[in-house]
Amino acid sequence: MHGIPPVRPEAKRRSFQLSDQQVGLLFMLPFLVTAAAFMIWPVAEAVRMAFFAYNPLRPDDVRWVGLDNFERILDDPLFWESLRQALVWTGWSILLQTILGVALAMLLHVSLPGIALFRGLLLFPYIVPTVVIALNWRWIFNSEIGIVNHALLSLGVIDQNIAWLSTPDMAMASAILLNVWKYTPFVIICVLARLQTIPTELYDAAKVDGAGAWRRFLDITLPMLKEVLVVVIVFRTIWTFNKFEEIYLLTRGGPGTSTFNLAVYAFEEGMANLRLGVAAAAGVIMIALLLVGTIVYVRVSGFGQEEKAT
Amino acid sequence: MTARAALGRVALYALLAAVTFVVCFPLVWAFFTSMKPKDEIFFWPPTLWPSTWTLENYRALLQGKDAYFQAGSATGGQAPPSAFFLDWFLNSVIVTLGTTVISTVVSTLAAYSLTRFRFPGQRAVPYLALVGYMVPSIIFVFPMFLLMADLRLTDTLLSLILGYVCITLPFCMWLMWAFFRGVPIEIEEAALVDGASRLRVFWEIVLPTAWPGIVAAAIFTLIVSWNDYLFGRVFMNSMENLPLTVGVMHFFDGTHVDWGLMMASSVLMTVPMAILFMALQRHLVAGFGAGAVKG
Amino acid sequence: MTDTMRAWASRRRLLQGTATLAAAGLAAPAIAQTQPRVARVWGEPGPYGGVFVNGMNEWAQRSNANIRFEVEQIPWDGVTVKLATDLAARRPPALISVESPIAYQLAAEGLLEPVDDVNRAIRAQERLVDGFTLEQFGAWRGTQYAVPVHHQPCLLVVQQDLVDEFGLGNPATWNWDQFANAARVIAERRPGMAGYTMALGRNLCADYHITQFIWQAGGMTWDPQAEFRTVFDSPATVEAFDFIRRLHPTMPRTAVEFSFLQVVDQHAAGRTGMSAYWGRTMGRAAEESQALFNNMEYYLNPAHPGTGMRWSWTDINGWIIPRRDNPFIRETKEAVAYVSNSVDWMVRYSHSLMPNVGPVFKDVATSPQMLAHPFFQSKRRTLDVIFTQSVPHACNTGLELKRGVNPLAGFAHGRSVWAQAVQRMLLNNESPRQAVEWGQRQFEGVRRDNQRLLQG
Repeated sequence: MHGIPPVRPEAKRRSFQLSDQQVGLLFMLPFLVTAAAFMIWPVAEAVRMAFFAYNPLRPDDVRWVGLDNFERILDDPLFWESLRQALVWTGWSILLQTILGVALAMLLHVSLPGIALFRGLLLFPYIVPTVVIALNWRWIFNSEIGIVNHALLSLGVIDQNIAWLSTPDMAMASAILLNVWKYTPFVIICVLARLQTIPTELYDAAKVDGAGAWRRFLDITLPMLKEVLVVVIVFRTIWTFNKFEEIYLLTRGGPGTSTFNLAVYAFEEGMANLRLGVAAAAGVIMIALLLVGTIVYVRVSGFGQEEKAT
Repeated sequence: MTARAALGRVALYALLAAVTFVVCFPLVWAFFTSMKPKDEIFFWPPTLWPSTWTLENYRALLQGKDAYFQAGSATGGQAPPSAFFLDWFLNSVIVTLGTTVISTVVSTLAAYSLTRFRFPGQRAVPYLALVGYMVPSIIFVFPMFLLMADLRLTDTLLSLILGYVCITLPFCMWLMWAFFRGVPIEIEEAALVDGASRLRVFWEIVLPTAWPGIVAAAIFTLIVSWNDYLFGRVFMNSMENLPLTVGVMHFFDGTHVDWGLMMASSVLMTVPMAILFMALQRHLVAGFGAGAVKG
Repeated sequence: MTDTMRAWASRRRLLQGTATLAAAGLAAPAIAQTQPRVARVWGEPGPYGGVFVNGMNEWAQRSNANIRFEVEQIPWDGVTVKLATDLAARRPPALISVESPIAYQLAAEGLLEPVDDVNRAIRAQERLVDGFTLEQFGAWRGTQYAVPVHHQPCLLVVQQDLVDEFGLGNPATWNWDQFANAARVIAERRPGMAGYTMALGRNLCADYHITQFIWQAGGMTWDPQAEFRTVFDSPATVEAFDFIRRLHPTMPRTAVEFSFLQVVDQHAAGRTGMSAYWGRTMGRAAEESQALFNNMEYYLNPAHPGTGMRWSWTDINGWIIPRRDNPFIRETKEAVAYVSNSVDWMVRYSHSLMPNVGPVFKDVATSPQMLAHPFFQSKRRTLDVIFTQSVPHACNTGLELKRGVNPLAGFAHGRSVWAQAVQRMLLNNESPRQAVEWGQRQFEGVRRDNQRLLQG
């Protein structure tokens, strides 16, 4: 067996570690089994499938095709369109979420009677099921009888109904709006948690020095939030990039293919075009793009160094 | 000075109220719509406040009334989609709870083991979990589906639970690991030195301290599995076995969309999450603050 | 079955799943034997098939087959997804009635059980209404894979009061130009109302509505009589696209999202003067708006001014039986034959969805029981158009211009290539020719990918 080194070279600790070696492995075992079956195996299988032609109607007829699936994807204008749109959708979502998230967190950070109620209400969208919000969106943005058009009409902002989900640009904007609505609370949660740890003395000192509110935000708050924001942005970028449900349920990638992202592309390849192999290959390309994201995350957040230091 | 402060306070409240209104409006509007009778839903201009309050949409949902092809007998007694609403609801509850139990228990045990014991490859596990969480669910869904097909498990709630474990376990693992790293080890050591067994220490000392982290992981799992559509869509096929998310989309299909039913089911789908949220909001902020952001 | 029973049944399925996993498949069969085996049946999307399945269960009871047929609903735009997942999971339904192109596709894939025996048992050949052949329901390389069940044509649905009020002539004799003019006049004179509504979203319905125009102009997608060459990029297709672009301003502005549902909704809410649809629009009007129903008439599609053709996308619908992993083939065949042989059951089936499903057997179409339906009093002319006059103009994407079955259409519907091509023209402002050429490339790709089916 491997010699199991103690955490710290103290005698009492060593006995504690060694005597419980089995317990440690026992505790680890469920995770190892589950992870092997439900994390590692499916990904490995997806990678394998990317090299096969696999028609779900014919589970008996699976053929090795080498790199054909990848070639097909890279030749497919729809893939590039989906990638471009995925970047637009991700970029705008993240930008708006970050700005709104920080602003709202600042607003919620003030101490006012009843602020807890507002906090609760503003965080609420995060837990609203995607299906629910997609349906609501289709209802309030309904071009014929939707309340949003009605409101804009009666305010005189527009003079005829906007077809929110029927033109490529508006559909993309609606999808981005949905994502911002639902996930800004996540940014608020994280920023708020960090804000609460900033000592108030810092602000008091700045006030004495005569710094205005905006200066205090730039000089104190923002630097303190930097670390959190970097992490949150990277996380949110990856998750938004991966999102399938929001777009599929709201627009099904339409009108046309103007709101396809890579996840919708992969789904359509697998289920509508009956090419599971191509779907898997599209997934593998997504993983490759995301690995880059993860590496950036690990670098930027200093996650690795911290470990080495101990 | 006080006048100015008061004025500022009023302005703040006004701002908060405005923002809250915009954020909450879609749900409030869904609720109002769900309480309107069928014809009022289509009024133009729309009525903001329902002029007639009715529970007919909810009644239709819970009693499985046929809102589409009204002559129910004409379709050979075939049940309309709304007849399955309660099934779907129960399915979602079972699947969500099942996933939550598996994911939190497994990740808690593993996180404890990772932070309290030493073994080879240990450092890789949190990284692995993190990478696992970056993997889009669209990657998992097809291989898992084929695996379920081989095991003859498609269209069972168990297959959904296993599918959701795929997408929730990595983040739970990550979150619990981050949490356990922050829990001081000294009390446990003292207890062990005093002769308490490892299991007893885990049960009586570790679990209570780790509780906020466990709750955060559980909330995360609950949200993800209650919200999922993709796995439900691909794995499940019989009407009575669908989860809520996939089921309610049936109201959108066919040759008639019933917005009243849709909005009533939206409200009913949100209520369990809302209750949970109100009860656990504190932990959500604390737990996510610690786990998601710290690492 | 009551709600609680069903809830319990599905809970039990979870337990069964667990047991299967635990006992490696030993436990489940033991549980299953205590009650009748359930054979799943797919009707079309929507509540089709219910009455037919009741008839099948009557057979099961009378012959003590210890089997129960149960209809399973398919989401409208999820036919392919459901088919793909169920076949991939090796748990196909016992019996299917879906869109014709998908039936042709499955037949060519070799996934279906031949049903020549059933068709003989029900004397399908002799009983078939004039204008249809057994092959059109789903045959491939000389083998029959479908038992005829109904036909449903997509026609021009008109609010007669508007046409009369504006003096637009007789829709029965319209050609494309008169029809386009009528759409324009209605849209102009009735603000807020569309002149004509068709589906233009990325879905099956739009595929169907678009291809009708292509055929009327004389175009098609693949030519089964010329080795399935892709012939989509013909001047006829370009003309049809151009015509759709001409009609577009008379349609609801959101038509590019429309599928089955929205077209019917639009018409049943009185927001369009005319639309393209199957029988359901009239059924909806009868249930919801008597005034609309009274003024609603169906006509053959307007003729192309050059070719004079009035093709209509028609589901020539048969029952098909998956061959692999289907433990119910024998019972299903007997039950289908039993119901198909019963004029009584077939009339009830037709009546259950009036006027969606046209009877395909002469004895059913002419039986007094059939003609007793009240629509035959109120809407005799329209029913005659739907059930009889449309038949010579019936074809579909798997049977274009009646030049032979092609199994490729199912694949193209999976990704709605026709609809996408038109959307490129309407949304991305491509010219009809560019959009058609894009479509040609897609269809050629479908053909290349599935060459093996064509070679046989």
